[in-house]
Amino acid sequence: MEIMESGAADTQQKHEEKYQQQTEEKHFHVLAVDDSLIERKLLERLLKVSSYRVTFVDSGDKALEYLGLLNSIDNVKATSSSSSSSSSYQSPRQDQGMKVNLIITDYCMPGMSGYDLLKRVKGSYFKDVPVVIMSSENIPSRIGMCLDEGAEEFLLKPLQLSDMEKLQHHLLNSLEHSCERIDKSLNTDSNCIAVRNKSNSNHGSVSRVRRQMT
Amino acid sequence: MERTQLRRQVALTRQSLFDQGFLDEQFIQLEDLQDDANPNFVEEVVTLYYRDSARLITNIEKALEKNSLDFNKLDGFMHQFKGSSSSIGAKKVKAECTLFREYCRAGNGEGCTRTFQQIKKEYATLKRKLEAYFQVVRQAGPAETACWPK
Repeated sequence: MEIMESGAADTQQKHEEKYQQQTEEKHFHVLAVDDSLIERKLLERLLKVSSYRVTFVDSGDKALEYLGLLNSIDNVKATSSSSSSSSSYQSPRQDQGMKVNLIITDYCMPGMSGYDLLKRVKGSYFKDVPVVIMSSENIPSRIGMCLDEGAEEFLLKPLQLSDMEKLQHHLLNSLEHSCERIDKSLNTDSNCIAVRNKSNSNHGSVSRVRRQMT
Repeated sequence: MERTQLRRQVALTRQSLFDQGFLDEQFIQLEDLQDDANPNFVEEVVTLYYRDSARLITNIEKALEKNSLDFNKLDGFMHQFKGSSSSIGAKKVKAECTLFREYCRAGNGEGCTRTFQQIKKEYATLKRKLEAYFQVVRQAGPAETACWPK
């Protein structure tokens, strides 16, 4: 199905692995951040009913820790023993099985707010991961601020099943964007043939996911 | 059939909770999340709510006993409590929470104290009513099975 060109063999293998991972998993992985036990319980049910895999943390700090973004500022400061480059993060979590496809976070949390978390994520390796903010308060300036900072969506609490459809939309968009990035990273004609086949395969996995979610 | 009568009782009890304004649409959202694999989801959430929010009630009570009220702190607690109450569809409780927060913002201590008494009353009433409701639900048995209720 896919044409292997010698020059693209390595990249092709990486794509196969990624494709394999996505089709095997079939379920998007959501990182959910909320300090309220009840809200987490509700969110867990909503996300599971929608066939997402979900990881819960109860604070922004724990979310950053999970993503491997905590202490990134400290790492940049401690340059004497560190072999890191001048990038502002270190060792972000990239475990194959734990790839986060979407972050959904409460706005109002003790310590780091959802907005602060949004800013940190959008300034990091994970800037292309869609971030959705939830809040029980309908404050237009707050909504505007979050959307300006790159949040994909702002959901009003309490969350409902219909809100899950909005998540699906953002997840599928981000999947298509990651296909485009793969396309762009390859720039020979022969590779384009392989990529076209790959895109078809990915669309297959997308429609499988769509069926699962409906 | 006894089961039919029990089911009818469930429906009537449930409807009265909505009609009397104790529950709002969010409760139906919880019901929609129930299925064969999670047949007691609503009761689980409600039980968790009462367990988890007891701590918030205590915190608010303590904060209200102080000579000089910290309205920011009170508002913070109430924000959390209102959020949880809202998530289970506790309509009357939620309304009183909104009122409490308005008093906080106005720096009205007496209003806060008075409203808090009302919150506790609604909170306790709802608990009683929901406990009675879930009891009838359990007696009526699972909807789709052929076995007799316990």
